[in-house]
Amino acid sequence: MSHEYVPEIATDREGNEYEVQGWQDDFYGGKLGFWLFMFTEVMMFGAMFLTLAYYNTLHPQDFIEASASLNRLLGGTNTVILLISALTMGLGLLKMRAGDIKGAKLMIWATIILALLFLGIKAVEWTAEYNHGVFLGLDAMQPGNEHSMPFGKILFFGMYFTMTGLHGFHIIIGIGLMLWLMKRINSEKVTPDHHILYWNIALYWDIVHLIWVFVFPYYYMIGGGDIVGGIAHGH
Amino acid sequence: MDTNTTIDYQVERKRYYKVLVGLLLLTAVTFVQPYIFHAGTFTAQMFIAVIKAWLIVMYYMHLKGEKLIGTMALFSLSLVFVFFVIVIGVDVANFQFGAESHITAAAEHTAGAAHAATPAHH
Repeated sequence: MSHEYVPEIATDREGNEYEVQGWQDDFYGGKLGFWLFMFTEVMMFGAMFLTLAYYNTLHPQDFIEASASLNRLLGGTNTVILLISALTMGLGLLKMRAGDIKGAKLMIWATIILALLFLGIKAVEWTAEYNHGVFLGLDAMQPGNEHSMPFGKILFFGMYFTMTGLHGFHIIIGIGLMLWLMKRINSEKVTPDHHILYWNIALYWDIVHLIWVFVFPYYYMIGGGDIVGGIAHGH
Repeated sequence: MDTNTTIDYQVERKRYYKVLVGLLLLTAVTFVQPYIFHAGTFTAQMFIAVIKAWLIVMYYMHLKGEKLIGTMALFSLSLVFVFFVIVIGVDVANFQFGAESHITAAAEHTAGAAHAATPAHH
């Protein structure tokens, strides 16, 4: 399906016609617009990180102990998975720009599979935490009862579930965007010459990865300790 | 300004793999850091994360050479920080040691209430 540009014509009072400047192929504009959207993401997650940092200063010991109880092996595996998915997404874009559409599509599928793997591991982790009574709304996470965790840990896990949940939601949105991108490529609306959509979805995936780059050390690593750790291992 | 230009596929691909190796190495450092030195774990972890973020932003997100977008990124980060200082500043000034606070345990309020007026809390 071709996209022939039909210019808009403006007419002045004397009846002279002028072609209106079209911005349909404004690659930089499209990219800049998407960066503006990504700044809202930075501000949203940035505010959460700063809140987390503030809570941390109020309850440093609780934060270290809570961090030590998270499963670093699963968190680390997810870190590597996201890292490789950022590569597949980037290589896919590169292939598209170089004219290798089939290769680009393969790379998108690889990214989708890695994203699903990430979600699967996250689900295993959350389930283990739920089974050990650590989850939003459970007694341990509510102050003022016999099962309550120390208050700093309640704040830590509250932020942990909120932020990893929101991050997971971004992963799901990313999968949806990649499926949509596949549809657009199949219908030839995204081509090697017209790939701004691919570029921006790759940028989105990078910011999802970028957020995890800070989520992982803040939640999983500040507690140090043994290599595995983790509620899932009964600690 | 426009990055939608013809590309050297092999050169760009090589760069992607080089960055991947760098990120994997830094991830490995993230894992072993607490065993090398325990003190300053938080600072070390955040420092490694910042280097990783820099690699991602510059090479995977193609921000290298993008002056305008780079400045905007710094501006948005500054904005978050300023709002943080304002919001948290208000909270600290008004609620942190009061019963209304949602960020310190109730027991701590009671314990701190007797000393609430003393300057030691500020």
